[in-house]
Amino acid sequence: MSEEILKALTQLFAIITKQDGGVTENERQFVINFFQTELDQDSIKEYLELYDSYSGYSKQGTAGEEEKNKLTSVKDSVKTLGICKKINKTLTQKQKVVVLIKLLELVGSDKNFTPQRLEIINTVSTVFNIVKDAYQLIETFAISEKIEGLNFPDILLVDSSESKTADLQKHVHAHIDGSLVFMRVSSVDMYFTKYMGDQANVLNGFIMQPNRVYLFSQGSTIKTQAGDALYYSDLVANFNEEIKTTKLSFNANIEEFKFPNGAIGLRDVMISEGPGKLIGIMGASGAGKTTLLLTLAGLEKPSKGDILINGFNIHTEKSKIQGVIGFVSQDDLLIEELTVYQNLYYNAKLCFANFTEVQLHLRVMQVLENLGLDQRKDLTVGSILDKKISGGQRKRLNIALELIREPAILFLDEPTSGLSSRDSENVIDLLKELSLKGKLIFVVIHQPSSDIYKMFDKMIIMDTGGFPSYYGNPVEAVTYFKKATHQVDSNRGQCETCGNVNPEQIFNIIEAKVVDEYGQPTNKRKVTPPQWHEMYTKQFKVNRVEDVKEQPPVALFIPTKIKQTAIFTKRDFLAKLSNKQYLLINLLEAPLLAIILAFIIKYKSAPGGKEYIFRFNENIPAFMLMSIIVALFMGLTISAEEIIRDRKILKRESFLNLSWNSYLLSKLTILFLLSAIQTFMFVVVGNLILEIHGMTFAFWFVLFTTSCFANVLGLNISSAFNSAVTVYVMIPLLLIPQMILSGLLFPFDKLNNLISTKGKVPIVADLMASRWAYEALATYQFKNNDYELSYYNFEKGESQADFKAAYMADELQKRNRFVLENFESKNDSIKRLVVGHLEILRGVLLEEPYKPGFEKINLNESLSPEKYSKTMGLLLTGYIEQYRGHYQKIYNDNVLLLEKRMAYDEKNGFNINDEKNKYHNESLSDLVKNITTKSRLIEYNGKIIQQINPIYQDPKPRGIVDYRTAFFLPEKNLLGLTVSTFIFDILVIWMMSLVLYMALYFEWMRKLVDSFGKVNIPKKK
Amino acid sequence: MEILNLEGTEDTPKIILNKKNGIFEISGRSLPEDSAEFYRPVLEWIEAYSAEPNPSTDFTLKLEYFNTASSKLILDVLSALEDIKGTKIMWYFHEDDEDMEEAGEEFSELVEIPFEFKTY
Repeated sequence: MSEEILKALTQLFAIITKQDGGVTENERQFVINFFQTELDQDSIKEYLELYDSYSGYSKQGTAGEEEKNKLTSVKDSVKTLGICKKINKTLTQKQKVVVLIKLLELVGSDKNFTPQRLEIINTVSTVFNIVKDAYQLIETFAISEKIEGLNFPDILLVDSSESKTADLQKHVHAHIDGSLVFMRVSSVDMYFTKYMGDQANVLNGFIMQPNRVYLFSQGSTIKTQAGDALYYSDLVANFNEEIKTTKLSFNANIEEFKFPNGAIGLRDVMISEGPGKLIGIMGASGAGKTTLLLTLAGLEKPSKGDILINGFNIHTEKSKIQGVIGFVSQDDLLIEELTVYQNLYYNAKLCFANFTEVQLHLRVMQVLENLGLDQRKDLTVGSILDKKISGGQRKRLNIALELIREPAILFLDEPTSGLSSRDSENVIDLLKELSLKGKLIFVVIHQPSSDIYKMFDKMIIMDTGGFPSYYGNPVEAVTYFKKATHQVDSNRGQCETCGNVNPEQIFNIIEAKVVDEYGQPTNKRKVTPPQWHEMYTKQFKVNRVEDVKEQPPVALFIPTKIKQTAIFTKRDFLAKLSNKQYLLINLLEAPLLAIILAFIIKYKSAPGGKEYIFRFNENIPAFMLMSIIVALFMGLTISAEEIIRDRKILKRESFLNLSWNSYLLSKLTILFLLSAIQTFMFVVVGNLILEIHGMTFAFWFVLFTTSCFANVLGLNISSAFNSAVTVYVMIPLLLIPQMILSGLLFPFDKLNNLISTKGKVPIVADLMASRWAYEALATYQFKNNDYELSYYNFEKGESQADFKAAYMADELQKRNRFVLENFESKNDSIKRLVVGHLEILRGVLLEEPYKPGFEKINLNESLSPEKYSKTMGLLLTGYIEQYRGHYQKIYNDNVLLLEKRMAYDEKNGFNINDEKNKYHNESLSDLVKNITTKSRLIEYNGKIIQQINPIYQDPKPRGIVDYRTAFFLPEKNLLGLTVSTFIFDILVIWMMSLVLYMALYFEWMRKLVDSFGKVNIPKKK
Repeated sequence: MEILNLEGTEDTPKIILNKKNGIFEISGRSLPEDSAEFYRPVLEWIEAYSAEPNPSTDFTLKLEYFNTASSKLILDVLSALEDIKGTKIMWYFHEDDEDMEEAGEEFSELVEIPFEFKTY
């Protein structure tokens, strides 16, 4: 109290007491007592002199009878006003209520309640802005010596009778003589008590004087002579209507909790609570506080025992208690890119589908105001390193995220850690307020200040090894442990003068060490955890709260899955938009890469080196591969961190039972959109610089598809691993096989024999999106460019006929000749060769549509080693020549047609050469024609396989589902239909994405990684 | 604006509030049973007046006695006048009445209106 205020109070005392007959001895003594509580010995004298001079104490006696009925002087009246105004400026409303009660007590000290004195006090109360009804209550409470007159709803009577004395009173039965009265001043939420009787009751360790008003502060306890203990929280609960109407029971009986490695985390913990309690959990580090909290919240399952909320098992009847539990972990669960308001708003939107926008806004604003965050609502939260709001505000916002949906039971893990003492107090204050609204709140707390400690209704103290060593009133805990160790002054939990509690004392006692003969503390504890536990179980019995057989109160209304997707998407979108760095990098990355890549590989490619001509750029095939790698890379990097970053938020939202599918779809929506933009920019810039014409859409679509595939893949690893670093280490592991097996760097026919199949793309490569994307790009670019489109069919006919006439005929003739010469040989190795050659001849002829003279002959029989004859051989020789001639003609026809077509086009103003320069690329053409191969055909597994010109070949499926072909075939078999490779390959990539999405949805990858984790050596928790 | 005119009694002051003639006066003894109720019309009148006040308002307080409860309401009246421009309080006290003089001085410290002290 400041000097100024104390002076003002002294004057006020003086003005009041000098009315109606002046100061009495008792009244003066009261003032002295008051000074004694506020001042040191020396100053008391000074202030007493001040009081005496104002009140005219020394002059008394001479005044005589006439003074008695004199009206209050106008000067005193106005002075009173002045003093009150001064007090108004500095004291809080709570303090003003205390002052008012002091004034009433002062007058009450000699029972000299004259109208004038009361009028002054009444006026003081008006100036203090205390409402009339409250003043009425306070005055009656302070003055009255009989309980009958106290007919107010804010009065609680505690006595030994069974009924109350007045209608509006509240009543509690206790073993006590006389009556103990409690008053609530609801406007300031303060409680006062007064005892009317002859017993010596003890308030916070001090005997209560009868008829004196005491402040009944947080955490106070009154002990009656009969030994009853009346706790603040229990008494206050009587005033609270909300607690009375909340139907909630929480019964936890954890017989044992074992960690995965077998160590025991909790033993024999019984907790039973009803609504409206704030319960603290304390203990040395490693005592199992957090484990207890997690177990109570149902996040961990006890190995033995159960937890019932309103009789519903927290683990087996989850659906019945959905949304009842709120959990605030120690971690920061904010979306850093969003503002304080947005964080709350989207959270609320996911909880209350039944609210209108206005209602949502009001709800959010209300919560922000309650937490004192309304001024900060438009600030971005920022990361922990780049703080935009203070640590206390972050913490409060974290709590707000859970508060907004008003769970009936709330668990908080060290909500005050790292906060200033003021912030800590604010947070606990808020929790206290909530508990008064009927919520049940469990808080793990570390080193609480005295004030915070006293705010708890109950305290659970855990000891090393998961032994509970105390469960009950917090202040009692101090006396209990003091008593247990036979300490002096053990029945006082609080400091005599300041009322402070020192919770550290408890731990000093619990963990006291045995001292050796040199006075050094040893490692041995005086009382071991099991001993404390045993003592505790002997002394205390947990009264089980009866299970409420009713669904617990829930205010939750989860939106539909589609709406959830929309909300998630919007929230994520806003978060990404507000992250300027992220946005800039991701949007600039693609065009920048395109510029770098295209610029470097663009050179004067024309023969003679004078200018750049697309047709002669030898880098185009490599450019296409790089594009695909870029698409994969961008797709992976934007998605890889997504789920990891949200994991904590997901954990929080898991209590809401939101749809995982909606969440994933929202992620995909945003990622696909971003990928579409990125790949589009890449293609536009790249194709512009390299002068690739008419391919924009096709290229974009392939790259977009690839990027989407990478997005889903990235989300998979993001959901599987725990840290971003692991994920980024995974990226090369995923990308490099894509590069190796893309088909360009290492030709498929020159891979390890274990994996390669001649004439077909190996199966392992079929698992690579890059190979499909590359094939789609290359075939499309070659086949569908504006130049090639008109001539492709002629060239195809030409190529197919040429192959048969020039190479196949020779090959067949060679083999037939060998058979003809050797079919009668007795040499085993030659015989084997003959059989092989015959098989090939048979195979080719069976598939060959043109075979005059052979239509009627059973080839399988006549071309078998047993039936083969010289006549047959000669017949075959003749046929092969005929075959050669036939295809020679077809070839010539096609060449002619092609020339005619070109001549026609030239005549129509078409410059073939220019067109070819513009659209056709020689390197790519060489690639898809596979002209670098040494042998145009090879023999493999008894078949002749054409190596050259895959781009002009037709697929030869062996069954309806046989999709496999050589690389760069223009068409593929899709379940009996022949579709273009471009479409087929894109479909394959989307199918792969779909499978990956399923893997993501069912979290296969995560489960796989987890199963690896379980093999590990037992780890310490 | 209507004129507020209350005749004084043994326990209540005489009150004239007349905008037209520029007469604003509270005089006599003030110890009503319910002072808040008694002064309510006065405060309402001043509130209405403050919407369109005269250029200058000379408010006369010529009191013989007021009790503590009234003092609070007189302070409320003074506070209401505080917002009106050109207001001046004419505080009359009997030349023997030191208490009333001091009370006026105390009031003048609680509000920011010029006070003019006059004896009668």
